[in-house]
Amino acid sequence: MVEVTVAIATSERGTPRSRRSAGPWRVAFTQIAHNPVAVGSAIALVIIVAVCLAAPLYAQFIAHTDPFQSNINGTTVIDGHSVAVLQQQTQGLGLGVEPIGPTWNISNYFLGADSQGRDVFARLLYGGRTTLLIGFSSALICCALGALVGIIAGYFGGPVDWVLSRLMDIIWAFPVYLLAISLSVVLLTGGLRLGPIVIGPSNLLLPILIIALIYVPYVARPIRGQVLSLKNREFVKAAIGLGASDWRILRIEILRNVLPTVIVFIPLMMALNMLTESALSFLSIGVQPPNASWGTIINDGLDLLYTRPAVAIAPGIMLVITAVALNLLGDAVRDALDPKAKLRGAA
Amino acid sequence: MRTITKTLVSVIAAASLLVLAACSSETSTDSGGGSSGQHTGGTLHLTAQSAGGTLDPQVNYTLQYWQLYQGAYDGLLTYARVGGKKSEDIVPDLATAMPKVSTNGKTYTFQLRKGIEFSNGKTVTTDDVVASFRRLFKVSSPNAGSWYNVIVGADACLKTPASCTLNGGVVADASTNTITFNLTQADPEFEAQLAMPFASVLPADTKAKDEGTTPIPTTGPYYFASYSPNKALVMKRNTHFKSWSAEAAPVGYPDEIDETFGLTAEAEVTAIENGQADWMYDTPPSDRLSEISSKYASQTHVTPLTALWYLGLNTNIAPFNNEKARQAINWAIDRSAVVKLYGGTSLASPACTILPPDFPGHADFCDYTKNGGNTWTAADVDKAKQLIQQSGTAGQSVGVVVQNDSVNKGIGLYLVSLLNQLGYKATLKALSNNIQYNYIQNTGNHVQMSLTQWYQDYPAASDFLRVLLSCASFHPNSDSSINIAGYCNTGLDAQMAKADDEGLTDPTAANAAWGEIDKAYMSESPLVPLFNPKLIDFTSNRVSNYQFSDQYYMLVDQLWLK
Amino acid sequence: MLFVAKRLGSALLVMFAISIVVFLIFFATPGVDPAARLAGRGASPEVLSQVRHAFGFDQPLPVRYVLMMDHLFVTRDLTSYVNIGDKVVPQIMQAAPVTLSLVLGAAVIWIVLGLGGGILATRFRGSVVDPIIMVIGIAAVSLPAYWVGEVVNLITQDRLHDSVFSWVPPLGYVPFAQNPGQWALHLLFPWLTLALLYGGIYARVLRAELVTAMGEDYVRTGRAKGLSERRILWRHALRGSLSPVVSLFGLDLGSLIGGAALLTEVVFGLPGIGKLTWDSLQNLDLPVIMACVLYAAFFVVAANAIVDLLYAVIDPRVRRA
Repeated sequence: MVEVTVAIATSERGTPRSRRSAGPWRVAFTQIAHNPVAVGSAIALVIIVAVCLAAPLYAQFIAHTDPFQSNINGTTVIDGHSVAVLQQQTQGLGLGVEPIGPTWNISNYFLGADSQGRDVFARLLYGGRTTLLIGFSSALICCALGALVGIIAGYFGGPVDWVLSRLMDIIWAFPVYLLAISLSVVLLTGGLRLGPIVIGPSNLLLPILIIALIYVPYVARPIRGQVLSLKNREFVKAAIGLGASDWRILRIEILRNVLPTVIVFIPLMMALNMLTESALSFLSIGVQPPNASWGTIINDGLDLLYTRPAVAIAPGIMLVITAVALNLLGDAVRDALDPKAKLRGAA
Repeated sequence: MRTITKTLVSVIAAASLLVLAACSSETSTDSGGGSSGQHTGGTLHLTAQSAGGTLDPQVNYTLQYWQLYQGAYDGLLTYARVGGKKSEDIVPDLATAMPKVSTNGKTYTFQLRKGIEFSNGKTVTTDDVVASFRRLFKVSSPNAGSWYNVIVGADACLKTPASCTLNGGVVADASTNTITFNLTQADPEFEAQLAMPFASVLPADTKAKDEGTTPIPTTGPYYFASYSPNKALVMKRNTHFKSWSAEAAPVGYPDEIDETFGLTAEAEVTAIENGQADWMYDTPPSDRLSEISSKYASQTHVTPLTALWYLGLNTNIAPFNNEKARQAINWAIDRSAVVKLYGGTSLASPACTILPPDFPGHADFCDYTKNGGNTWTAADVDKAKQLIQQSGTAGQSVGVVVQNDSVNKGIGLYLVSLLNQLGYKATLKALSNNIQYNYIQNTGNHVQMSLTQWYQDYPAASDFLRVLLSCASFHPNSDSSINIAGYCNTGLDAQMAKADDEGLTDPTAANAAWGEIDKAYMSESPLVPLFNPKLIDFTSNRVSNYQFSDQYYMLVDQLWLK
Repeated sequence: MLFVAKRLGSALLVMFAISIVVFLIFFATPGVDPAARLAGRGASPEVLSQVRHAFGFDQPLPVRYVLMMDHLFVTRDLTSYVNIGDKVVPQIMQAAPVTLSLVLGAAVIWIVLGLGGGILATRFRGSVVDPIIMVIGIAAVSLPAYWVGEVVNLITQDRLHDSVFSWVPPLGYVPFAQNPGQWALHLLFPWLTLALLYGGIYARVLRAELVTAMGEDYVRTGRAKGLSERRILWRHALRGSLSPVVSLFGLDLGSLIGGAALLTEVVFGLPGIGKLTWDSLQNLDLPVIMACVLYAAFFVVAANAIVDLLYAVIDPRVRRA
């Protein structure tokens, strides 16, 4: 997020393609499958997801550790010696406590411990699950919501369009990070109450919903532009002329043409949302401890930056690799499906 | 505001009064007397992450500025501005001597010193003293309603501050240069309250509103030249100042003192190491401790504080309305783990009692430690689990509310981990440092367990026990309800009143009584004492003559600059 | 004319709505009541109610909203809830030059990087240069700026501070008027960190535009006339491709000047608008939050409006849209 303006050019020139059959999808897929960069990125993503999903197996069977349980007075065995996970400083005035550093032994504190004495590598894997989950689900929600708003505003026009567009303007003009931060600060203090449903501060739904909400205009705007120009196309005019219901036109003519653009947005949005999540967590207003995400681990690592930099650096590297892979894949999907679609953003 | 500012100076036990009377004869120390010479001069650079709010001494309630007021404002009385144990003594400041107190304890008469000038050149008169006490109510000084309400006429001032006169309460006689305070009832705390920065004497024409960032003229060795909360606070030498007492008004050494705001604690440490700053107000971050304790040991000063980090257990809602559940927490907490999270054994010691060690009334006991004894040795998780079993609260959910800085959050994480291990379903809520303290006080927020701290700055048992646990400190549904446990025990309230009275005649017996009260509270377990912290002062290699006052910590203006 | 009026009208409406949203969000937060914090610890109920009254917290919300707006815009003497007496407007004025220094310096760097990267990649399309530049661009876009900032700090302030980076000054800001050399030195790494992301974005956008332009009719005509590829790129394609980049630049500049560089400012300890916003949010200091949000929104809305109006000047069809 931050330092992010996701600008989506509403590409007026973007001529939406006419009706699609199953054919073009297959063509697009073949095109992606023949793009080595796309295939490479996809493989990298699959590996990252698989490794993160295997986190519980790693924690239980390889590292024998619970990455959510504080282990402050615990000990571990390194090179045959039993050592404290958090070591009392003995030099000089003896101030401070230091966690053990990376052992580079995959089964035991591979990347060292954090200030709670927990295994950083195990947390890194668990953190990946959270970050990927938030990135993916918020991207889905955001794209669905954005497409819905864009289609309704563009298709119905008039006052409906005016109200929705102003709403988008407000979110748009609220500097992205600021809206996210304000919402997070408030919701983390009070939780979210929707009638009988109460979403507590530690619920992952909070960051998911917040991140999805703030980026809605970035999807809704280009979709609205696309729908506006679709409305003037012959096949839509013809359908209207034939007396087809709004619902039918929306479903058959509009949605089908808008869908490729929405799909193009998803991987790019996911990269952006992961970075946003990590930035919010870095400011300690995203995922709440003891839950882990790459952003929260970076935040934990800041307190150890001078003594144990690995804690902050490792999740950053994971984040960058994942975001690069998603962006490369997103580019390939765009080239195959809708070369005119533009979603720009990063963190 | 940070937690260390949570000082509440209140009761002065008669024990101290008697001692003080004996100590108030003039004694000068070496450091206080130096008016000129090789150590004078230079600019002292202090640094703090953020400003401490309003600069008005009658409103500000932070240690950050109280520390600086020592070189700026004076009241009729003050705590001796010297290092060591003597800093706990009250000495006459703008008054020539300790007051004459009537036998019924309701009248205090002061003689004002002659010839003292404000930094704007005007002479301090009895009118200024009277006006300052009126102003205290007009600006809604934080403790106007809890400390100074014993003055005759204070009730009217609290109701309609604008028309406050304190007629008959504070009486000045310009011809004899005396000021007389009439109280509605005898108050053993009154002298201590007069020695607080709230009771500073300010020019009579100071506006009757919180002056905020506008400096008010001072009587001490420095005046405030400028204040911008996003930039810096600058103190310069007050040319109208002549020392009248080495204890109450020692001459300061640096020519100028400035405190700049905005650096992170990390950057503050670097600045001090490189000699760009001389002292930081904030605690050095944990990943820099090993560096400063080994490479910069001679510039690091560690002093134990009579302060307590503790958990408040909400005794009014489940599960901690159950005494056994509360006791279980006291048994289960591994103090050594919490000490580690605070920075290790050199920075904190495990606590078993509400009254810190070396504090009036402190009794050595430790009810909740494995293997018994008077000091804490280990947690007893089995015992805790057993108690929870008996209480029938296992499986309930517990919300832990902490501040969101790394140390507090770290302890919070440990607590969540422990509570889960004990069979509760724990969640952590980390709130901004500014909000958390008021949030956990309000019963409307249904906080079950909260981590907070209490820093004394006046040595009296009631300052901990009465403030934190008396029924009078509990105000349901208010953000200002300092009895965070919401615990009200009228029997123990009566015992505290009795101990107070006893203090007037038999201090030793009173202290023993306070120790028993501490023990009684601990068996009910509304609070869980965690540890008593120590303070780190990290100074640059330019400064020497470090002195520590128990009352206001490092004596800033007594530092020598190379 | 009508278009201009309409555009300005909707901009004002958006600003108004934002101020209401901030106000409501603030008062929806529990534990946020400033009265208890202002009154101080252990304040008695009487003192608490006096403070509540003195600051007008006992008035209904709409009245408080109007009063706050009046103090902010009309009398311009709105003061902080945390540092009493500290006026909000001068705080913004003090912070603005810091942010401006950061953003403008970074903008110069990212324009050079972005345009250079985009042009180079197009010029050497088909060779290894193009994909290399584009992967660098993607990597730059995928880097979390705050993390880069922290790693840069770790290296320049600590790990290599005694050797390679001994010339790097401590974190913070030195005003240009005070010492231009130190000003630039203090801002160097923040500039580079911020410019990295935007440089990547601009290189990608420009390349996409250029590649499209190179396939347009007028370029083909030029080729047919026998113009060199280089000449076509510089004289023709680039000219047409710059206008989307310029409008993008307008929007980015607007939001950055408004404080969107928050994380860079926080990480490098620069006392700009972003840092002010973050500090005020942490303190829940409503007057400062309100001023910062409106200041930021003003630049975003203004940049949007200006870009729209410029488009309208260039392309009259937009006015009817």
